[in-house]
Amino acid sequence: MAKKETVFEQIDGLVPVDPKALVDFEREMTDKVIPEIVEVLEERRLLAEESRLRELEVLIDKDK
Amino acid sequence: MYTWIPLSAIADLAQLTTHISSEYGPKAVAKKLADSLSDAVKSVLIEHDYTDKDYRSTYYNFYAKKGQHYRPECVRLHFFDATVSFDENTLRLTSATDDRLTDHYYGYMVLRPTGIGTIGRSVLSPDVRRGASRYIIAAAHKVHLLGYTLMIRGFPSMDQHRDVSVCAHASCWSMLRHYSERYPVYREFLTHDITMMAQQFNPGGLVPSKGLGVPQAERIFQAAGTFPLVVARKRNTVIDPTFYRQLAAYVDSGFPLFAAMHKRQHAVVVVGYEWRAPVNTAIAGMRYSWDEIESLAVVDDNHLPYIPIPKSGGSLYSAEDIDTFIVAFPEKIFYPAEAVERLAPALFKLGAVVGLPPQDETILRYFITTGSALRRFVRKRESEFDPQLLKTIMSLPFAQFVWIVEIATEPQWATNQLFARAIIDATASPRELMPLWLLHTTTEALVFDRETVGLELHAGMRGLSLSDMGHTTFTRMDQNLRPTQTK
Repeated sequence: MAKKETVFEQIDGLVPVDPKALVDFEREMTDKVIPEIVEVLEERRLLAEESRLRELEVLIDKDK
Repeated sequence: MYTWIPLSAIADLAQLTTHISSEYGPKAVAKKLADSLSDAVKSVLIEHDYTDKDYRSTYYNFYAKKGQHYRPECVRLHFFDATVSFDENTLRLTSATDDRLTDHYYGYMVLRPTGIGTIGRSVLSPDVRRGASRYIIAAAHKVHLLGYTLMIRGFPSMDQHRDVSVCAHASCWSMLRHYSERYPVYREFLTHDITMMAQQFNPGGLVPSKGLGVPQAERIFQAAGTFPLVVARKRNTVIDPTFYRQLAAYVDSGFPLFAAMHKRQHAVVVVGYEWRAPVNTAIAGMRYSWDEIESLAVVDDNHLPYIPIPKSGGSLYSAEDIDTFIVAFPEKIFYPAEAVERLAPALFKLGAVVGLPPQDETILRYFITTGSALRRFVRKRESEFDPQLLKTIMSLPFAQFVWIVEIATEPQWATNQLFARAIIDATASPRELMPLWLLHTTTEALVFDRETVGLELHAGMRGLSLSDMGHTTFTRMDQNLRPTQTK
């Protein structure tokens, strides 16, 4: 069986990226973005739970 | 039996009352059609004694058991343009211009013999719906008529029965009928199926006297084999931009949304949108595609489909009235729009590597598509792409679904162009540091190996300098929704 080529081996011209160029992004993701995502998803989950509790309201058009 | 009605003007639809008995509500139907369809509709073929599977599902399980007598047959109306004629002797339909009847067909509408709420399963072309939004989620629906096989691209709709189904049932039915036509993996569910799927057990009577709420709708979508995500707005405020950005992202992904308006005790399906006219703003600041939307298109069981509703105000209701929506995902979408909204601005921290424009001068648009749809789009526009970038997109082992983030400046947005594109793995975990497959402009790209990037960021990414392809922008990817061609 032939050795599986990695994505990087299949494409010509790829070069390593200077790690220093990634520092800001990594810090932004770690310190801000990921914690925010976790927080907002939890908040949205709770809002969805609340919305489900409104099930007894009748979703029927009274004008008809 | 078939009856042909040529129309010199859409108001001539009043003739329906002379050909269709009152239990099908022809007067109300004719008024609704005359108020909503364009004058491009030049003839109606009435198909009498039509057997409609959706009505029959309610007839066998409900109407046939009642003391009041209901007929088992429906009537179906077919709408055509000015080129089509009908020979009553041979029952032949002919177009004066070509033999492609489908190109001259605007859809159909079933009428049920229930006296009230008589409009049953219908698929109408957005092209002849007055005021229809520019972009509509649509699927091709096959129609068998007089030995012809016609196709109509639209979104299914029907009136609520009021006794066996209410507006929320009709909304669920519309979405699931769209899914069964659009995606082979989903089976078809009839009206009665939908009513029953909302319940934990057969309650004996089918009268949904208490209507149907979000949990029941969620249950229906789950029972149908989808993976519903309930997204609710913050309570007691309409100022929740993230809620609406998500809504826009999912609709732009081609997912119809079950939209609940609890204060109005109503539910509709969001099926499209209209961009606002491009604007030049003096105020710097990143904007989202939701900011560029003028109105949403909804399927509301009180009206013919594709009603445009504004963001706020409006005579009927507006996007501000939507407080909860359900998106019925297929399997394998784990990275939600809310995570993309947080991730996308962070991409500008990589701006120096790929040459992004200043963040404050951009408009972000993000939506889900499939890897194969992305490749199809790129293949059709090969000349825009550096050969190695094209090879990269064709070679990356995408999961079935990807998020696309399009980054455009204001002038680019106005011409349907963009500066940069990010491709995000829709199966990524929301806690991943680098959920990307690719980020590229016209000059540089960052390519990510998803096998290794999660283990070591630097080792899992490579840069790629792109050759000059003679242009400075890319075409916006507009293929999830059908552009309306007003007639």
